[in-house]
Amino acid sequence: MAGFAAVCVLLESEGLASWANHLEIGRLRTVAVPATAAVARALHPLGVFQLRDGTLDNLARVGWSDDAARVAAVNAPANHDGPVADGSTAKTLAKAPTPATLGANTPVVRDVPRVTSLTPLPPVEAGKTRVVALAGDSMMAVGLSSELMREAANDPRLRIVKAFRSGTGLARPEVFDWMTEYPAMLGAEKPDVVLVAIGANDGQGFVVDGKVLAFGSEGWSKVYQQRVADYLAMVGAGGARVVWVGLPPMRSASYDDKMAAINKVAYTVVSQSPRAVWWNPVSYVGDEAGRYREYSATGNVRLRQADGVHLSDEGAGLLTGALLKWLDPPAAASVVAATPGTAPVPTPAVAVAHKAKKRGRRPARG
Amino acid sequence: MLFPTVEYALFFLLVLAVAWSLARFPAWHKGFLLVASYVFYGFWNWTYLPLLFGISVFSALIAQRIQKSERDPRRWLTLGVAVCLAVLAFYKYMGFFLENLLVVWGRFGPPPRIGYHSPVLPLGVSFFVFHAISLMGDCYRGKVKEPVRMGDALLYVAFFPQLIAGPILRASRFLPQLAKPRDPRRIRVDRGLLLIAGGLFKKVIISNMLATRLVEPVFAVPQSYSGADVLLAVYGYAAQIYCDFSGYTDIAIGCALLLGYRFPANFRAPYTATDPQDFWRRWHISLSTWLRDYLYFPLGGSRLGSLRTYVNLMLTMLLGGLWHGAGWTFVVWGGLQGGYLVTHRLWSRVKWSPVLWLRRTQAWVWVSRLLLFHAVCVGWVFFRASSFGIAFQVFERLAVPGWATLATGPVVLVLILGLAGQYAPSRWRNSVEVEMGRWPTLARGAAFAGAITAIEVLGPTGVAPFIYFQF
Repeated sequence: MAGFAAVCVLLESEGLASWANHLEIGRLRTVAVPATAAVARALHPLGVFQLRDGTLDNLARVGWSDDAARVAAVNAPANHDGPVADGSTAKTLAKAPTPATLGANTPVVRDVPRVTSLTPLPPVEAGKTRVVALAGDSMMAVGLSSELMREAANDPRLRIVKAFRSGTGLARPEVFDWMTEYPAMLGAEKPDVVLVAIGANDGQGFVVDGKVLAFGSEGWSKVYQQRVADYLAMVGAGGARVVWVGLPPMRSASYDDKMAAINKVAYTVVSQSPRAVWWNPVSYVGDEAGRYREYSATGNVRLRQADGVHLSDEGAGLLTGALLKWLDPPAAASVVAATPGTAPVPTPAVAVAHKAKKRGRRPARG
Repeated sequence: MLFPTVEYALFFLLVLAVAWSLARFPAWHKGFLLVASYVFYGFWNWTYLPLLFGISVFSALIAQRIQKSERDPRRWLTLGVAVCLAVLAFYKYMGFFLENLLVVWGRFGPPPRIGYHSPVLPLGVSFFVFHAISLMGDCYRGKVKEPVRMGDALLYVAFFPQLIAGPILRASRFLPQLAKPRDPRRIRVDRGLLLIAGGLFKKVIISNMLATRLVEPVFAVPQSYSGADVLLAVYGYAAQIYCDFSGYTDIAIGCALLLGYRFPANFRAPYTATDPQDFWRRWHISLSTWLRDYLYFPLGGSRLGSLRTYVNLMLTMLLGGLWHGAGWTFVVWGGLQGGYLVTHRLWSRVKWSPVLWLRRTQAWVWVSRLLLFHAVCVGWVFFRASSFGIAFQVFERLAVPGWATLATGPVVLVLILGLAGQYAPSRWRNSVEVEMGRWPTLARGAAFAGAITAIEVLGPTGVAPFIYFQF
């Protein structure tokens, strides 16, 4: 065991420091971060970390790595004005402007609107495709993205770009830095529209400048609001229209409270942006009072996964019906939808019936 | 707590050190392992500890009653099994049952409004319920000779290496191990280390890469891929689920071995099987033998004539499918497995001389392997697909011509390793074990650390949960 422990510490000191940094804010992290950092510092002169970094870079070069930012960094040309091959490539790309108008300093709203609408998009021009990026965490990865991609596969006017990753969020950039990863995930793609579903992992505290900010505290809200604003500015850079899909109600009451708080921050920021809209999914997957609902009103269509967090395919399908009609509106419909701020999207009840019919099931009643 | 995490590594090293330091005091040793197992389980969600404890205590009390009852032990067994299955049904199948009831109801009139929320499925509930049933069943059959002790029964149900995803231990084989003190000189340390390293390699590298780069994209949107990609994804899932699950059980068996306990083998190169019966002797062996002993045999097995044998096989596999998940795709998967077993039995009864000659040829062995592998793959499509629509799209897309865009070098490499690796002779691992046994202890530890580091570096940046956790 001694040999194992000694070699592990020698080879993995950087990895252990990284693991400690990734831990949830708490006692274990408080102890582990300085301890592993001290070990890593002590072993730094031996240069083992270079071996590790070199190996990871080589793995990225041969297509083994799944770390988009590292792949982008190692494949970037060495001599030019922009990205450089020291790992800062994506960071350089990601430094989009963050106008104060994006709501970073606006007081957080007390509540979010239950019913929201999508500002109409013009029809896709003949012979062209609308590039749609799907961004976010598992709220996008599970259910929603699959449904959107399946439906969009039948529409030659839409092209989907995947820019989501489960287990991520905006609360812990030291664990997963979206400001670095998103541009790397996009590569050369320039989306016209970005659909965002993110925040399910953000109900936790974080550390800023060595100070722990508890979830929901004033300091936490301020920093998180800024991060949402930065993220929104980044995904909207280049003129992309952004639809920020709000977090649906959750089964666990305490978790639902956290997600409601995150929705308020996101809504505050997004509603200040002229090219972004915060879209509440509650009228599709919540009950009449806007609470969590696992099954459709009649109980025969499951709307949520067994975890009580993510959307089932059927639940996601209710949202995608509306989103796809918005993304690729029929030419005539866009003229009909003359009311400002109102997209020609089906009502939730119509969407349930439509999706159930498509799946060969009886439409949910009521 | 997931196996391939630093948290588990630290937890296990601590448990290993303390457990062996207490080896001379069996009661303390077992008590410590029990506490460690509850810590392991509570690390995920402590609210389900009372459920685990309750099921364990209940099954132990019933087992004691069965052992003491001279008149009617069957009544106690029935009560015990019914309660255990009711717990499983409540957590796992209630939503599925209501959903389907309302679908049927809707065909005759407006169904009632039910505001039902499924409870959170406790991690590993299917496994610890099966352990509880095994405890009572083995006592009923007289396979547990010694009186059941409460502490041993609690540890048997909750022992952390097998708690979440098996292998499913038999009380009759595990309880005797708890009756004797552990002897560190009789531990095959190198075998344990090799199992852990091999299991991590299968899970962290092969399974995860196949999942994220091949299987998930295709099964999410089959219509976006050509037949070549879809075929590769189906093969990829066959390799992924094998590496994921056998990787987990290898780590579990290795960890138990280092603690001084022997678990049964759960996989024996299943894709080298030549017929469905052979496959089920190699795939998830602890489940297939559990279903055989506690379901198929009580139904009558093959003692009641051919037709009844086929019915029993179908019922066993259909319920086995449902055990894997509350969904009709799992039932279809189980039905296919039952159908394969029945078809094979019918085929085995053909005694026509050209067929007998054909069966004896080496070529037929390979034809059978290929046929069986593809039949198993058909079942995996239903097992993996989130709906029948997706499953049928996968089959439809197989006929669409086009290049395999997902066949990158790393993906093809791990796919070959995942499938062809099963043909590696077991003597290779034994040779490595023997060779390692000659090394100094320090060097063996260092080599193991090097292997773990290599797996960590080669692995993806986030490790997905094991597939079998959901069952």
